[in-house]
Amino acid sequence: MPEISYLEAIRQALWQEMKRDERVFLLGEDIGRYGGAFGLTHGMLDEFGAERVRETPISEATIVATAIGASLLGMRPVAEIMFMDFIFLSLDQIANQAAKMRFMFGGRTTVPIVIRMPGGSGSGAASQHSQSLESVLMHFPGLKVVNPSSPYDAKGLMLASIRDPNPVCFVEHKVLYKTTGEVPEGDYTIPIGVAEIKRSGRDITVVANNIMVIKTLNVAERLAEDGIEVEVIDPRTLLPLDTETIINSVLRTGRLLVVHEACQTGGWAGEVIASVVGSPAFDYIDAPVRRLGGKDIPIPYNRGLEKIAIPQEAEIEQEIRALVGGRI
Amino acid sequence: MPVPFIMPKFDMDQEKATIISWSKKEGDFVKFDETVLTVETEKVAIDVPAPTTGTLARILFKDGDVVPVTKVIAYILKEGETLADLPKADLPTLTSKPEIAPVLQRIPAHQTFSANATPVAVRMAKEEGVDLSKVPTSGDRITREDVERFIANQKTVGRVTVPATPAARRVARESGITLETVAGSGPRGRVQSVDVLATARSVPSAVTAVNDREAEVVPLTSIRRTIAERMQQSFQESPHIALTVEVNMTEAENTRKRFNLQAEKLGQPRITVTALMIKVVAWALVRNPYLNASFNGDSISLWKDVNIGVATAVPQGLVVPVLKGADHLGVSEINMHLIELADRARDNKLKLEDVQGGTFTISNLGMFGIRQFRAVINPPECAILAVGSVVRKPVVVDDQDRVEVCPMVSLTLSADHRVIDGVVAARFLSDLVAGVESPGLLLF
Amino acid sequence: MPKENGKGIEKDLGSREQFDERVKRLDLSDNTLIGLYRTMCTVRHFEYMADKLYAAGKVHGTMHLSAGQEAVAAGISLAVRPDDYLINHHRGHGHFIAKGADINLMMAEFLGKDTGYNHGRGGSMHIADFQSNSLGANGIVGGGIPQAVGVGLALQMQKRKEICICIFGDGAANEGVFHEAMNMVALWNLPVLYICENNKYGMSMDVERATAKLPIAQRADAYGIPWACVDGNDVVEVYDAIKIAADHIRSGKGPYFVETITYRYFGHSKSDRNLYRSKEEIEDWKQNRDPIMRFTKHLLQSEILDEGQAQEIDGQAEQVILKAVEFAEASPEPDLSTLLEYVYA
Repeated sequence: MPEISYLEAIRQALWQEMKRDERVFLLGEDIGRYGGAFGLTHGMLDEFGAERVRETPISEATIVATAIGASLLGMRPVAEIMFMDFIFLSLDQIANQAAKMRFMFGGRTTVPIVIRMPGGSGSGAASQHSQSLESVLMHFPGLKVVNPSSPYDAKGLMLASIRDPNPVCFVEHKVLYKTTGEVPEGDYTIPIGVAEIKRSGRDITVVANNIMVIKTLNVAERLAEDGIEVEVIDPRTLLPLDTETIINSVLRTGRLLVVHEACQTGGWAGEVIASVVGSPAFDYIDAPVRRLGGKDIPIPYNRGLEKIAIPQEAEIEQEIRALVGGRI
Repeated sequence: MPVPFIMPKFDMDQEKATIISWSKKEGDFVKFDETVLTVETEKVAIDVPAPTTGTLARILFKDGDVVPVTKVIAYILKEGETLADLPKADLPTLTSKPEIAPVLQRIPAHQTFSANATPVAVRMAKEEGVDLSKVPTSGDRITREDVERFIANQKTVGRVTVPATPAARRVARESGITLETVAGSGPRGRVQSVDVLATARSVPSAVTAVNDREAEVVPLTSIRRTIAERMQQSFQESPHIALTVEVNMTEAENTRKRFNLQAEKLGQPRITVTALMIKVVAWALVRNPYLNASFNGDSISLWKDVNIGVATAVPQGLVVPVLKGADHLGVSEINMHLIELADRARDNKLKLEDVQGGTFTISNLGMFGIRQFRAVINPPECAILAVGSVVRKPVVVDDQDRVEVCPMVSLTLSADHRVIDGVVAARFLSDLVAGVESPGLLLF
Repeated sequence: MPKENGKGIEKDLGSREQFDERVKRLDLSDNTLIGLYRTMCTVRHFEYMADKLYAAGKVHGTMHLSAGQEAVAAGISLAVRPDDYLINHHRGHGHFIAKGADINLMMAEFLGKDTGYNHGRGGSMHIADFQSNSLGANGIVGGGIPQAVGVGLALQMQKRKEICICIFGDGAANEGVFHEAMNMVALWNLPVLYICENNKYGMSMDVERATAKLPIAQRADAYGIPWACVDGNDVVEVYDAIKIAADHIRSGKGPYFVETITYRYFGHSKSDRNLYRSKEEIEDWKQNRDPIMRFTKHLLQSEILDEGQAQEIDGQAEQVILKAVEFAEASPEPDLSTLLEYVYA
């Protein structure tokens, strides 16, 4: 099976779906000749033409609104917000319009749009170009929030998102763009709303998203040598969240740690923990239920500071060891 | 006034019941006689109906709780009533507070068990008999405060006292261990499930105290607990005497064969030995009423009905379904009742009336090859018959000392000597043997 | 056609000859004109009934009434095709009615009933009728303006004949998305007709205090979009301007912007106590510039209707509204067990 990058996997999904379904088209800034700020849409203008690879002025609110309006007439637009940080410019259209239109119109319509948004720190882009805002988007019923951590998941989830009749926020991580993995060449989807146990283990359940999945898996590998078995769960979708898989895991392990890059306060770890502690798994919890989130600061520019602003592998390892060892 | 919903008493002997599951929740509207919850008594599972129509409120006990009978378990609000109408009395209260409550402490990333302790801490620990290795500290030396806090945590009794993880609490509940007796190995003396399991292991018992071996600790189910209590009670209270006879089953077997021809003709199931035995036992009991009795302390009840319980093994343990009025039933009827009861017992569908009202019990371990055994009387009965396996043996069959190989069965009667003397027991057995060896006698 | 300066509207009706000549030029038959009159009466009765229902405690929440702006609604709907797409705003009952919405279902939605257009989930501010290409009313000021870009884009990509009509108020013209959207419809030459229904007030801010340069429509020049600014209380003039705009767009020449100057009699919403304008001003518009009154005078003057007929038509319109109220009141509320429905497809 070919090994391609996370970035290429998303492009492949868009490419294949645009070939398969003529209703699909792209909207975004600099996605044409420039090939997208991260090169994700490279080559697509030549293949599909300017009408379907439609470059827009710098108008985030209207980019999302255009997608909404077109979807009401049966199109399947995939809009790009260049950096996740810019969603605030279009939050009315995302939260007040796309998320609510089906409901407030009594179920008489659907808004089948996908909004792609690269987020995450590690590229030295500083405070306004490095945020992880998926926790904010989880708060709007009517939206779906999808967050792949691997090339395989990225392609499958993108295909599923385009085909989903609901508005989907597709959260990408810019540092993951260059990670590679095996991706089938053909058509396949990953169901939205289903978590994946990326690694099984009996001592502790760790729930993590995008880049933290990678870090946690690395840590788990090291801990296995010391006989500590870590179960790593990647929710893949944050809204709707697959609490069942997580709860069943905690029933087995008795310990839960949630790790995310997003700022700790108000971060989605709280959502996971509340769901688990309030469930029947409560009686099987054998250690404090904890989370490791990004520090409650905007992302700094300096490389050294930027690195330690989010959970590092050493911290994750230390936390797991302490929880499993009954020392916290 | 809201109507109190009490845990009903279903059985004369019943003192408590375990709640299996509520099928309604607080706020639900319930109709009179509608099933509201299911409980398990000592014998079977029972559906409990609502005592009146209204809204269910203030459920006081939850699934798994063991509740004494007649205790209030909930209330039913009548129309127009609200929660404000409920009595204030039975709200749980904190009986005491922990002396030192480390509540809003910022929890540091690690808590270590330090070999290092201040001299004051060492002295205090020694005086109070505290194991310093169990005292957690947030610094790098154990201080007097750490020891004081540890002691306070150990001493307090009340609702929120012992710091323990939910898993530890569950294991403690299931093993019947009180958390106060468990030493916590977690930070600040927290009890973790490993600690409870360690305590469970170290509880001395006849077997494991001898060698320090590992054991799987199995929590007691309701049925097992009941059997344990009642067998102990029976053994302690009724002085058991045991009498054994050997019965020649030749005639009984011939009779059974004839019966089976008849059964086949009528499309009925084959008659079992047990069915035949029950019939003869019932006949013998009518002739020996003191074997069909109960001891009341200052009187003896000689039961008019002969209700014979048949001890039956099921996955959960032992149940004793009862054949009512066995003296009035023919063997084929007894047989069919037996089959039906056995099926229900196996499917865990026995009703309360199936296991109530027994006056005498038969236990048969013959299918396991057990030749002879003694059973424990099933209170409040006075006697129990233990039936062994059929063994083909050479026996002397007449007064010419002729020997034939015949099917023989050993029957052992255990009887309560408060009610039944040896001679009385012997007479019963003698009648029983006569009836088994010459079934025609029953027509007399 | 006069390019208005946005400051006032002629009180003077003009002569019969002038009117007759206009309707002849525009090829408007008597029946068509009567139809316009009927539409305006229906809208007027609907709005006043809504107000009454609210006062009687039968409608909760709030509502934004367009009584006084009937000519805009009637004129637009006549000038465009029934299957053209409509993006509406929360003061848009008139536009729905004029486009042919089922008044029973509108009234039921008002009362939050399950038989309403939105199954009671939206209420007055969110009425939509996707069957007839009414894409919904928006509660966010200007929220629909950029969505029209998408509708127009889809129409273009699907090579269809319909156009997208997006109506908004004078206050919305100052939202950021207004400018984003105007730029993009022009850039991509989209079949979008933007109509600014300038009723002279946002909520309490009069348009002169909120807008740097009037008329609002002249902003279209900045984006290279043709524009017109007309007397919104003259239904024929509205029709004229919109027809020109719609034809322009339908012939593939790109977007158009029309501003209609009009006035609302009720406050912004139910909690508005009209502290920002004088009773005299409201009376002046009602007495001298009312669109229905003016049009009726024209029809009577040109002998297209007599008094009796006019009254009768008005009475019939009222009946329609009363029947709708009956229907709505008899309709069931949504079943509480359906609370979680319609969130996801």
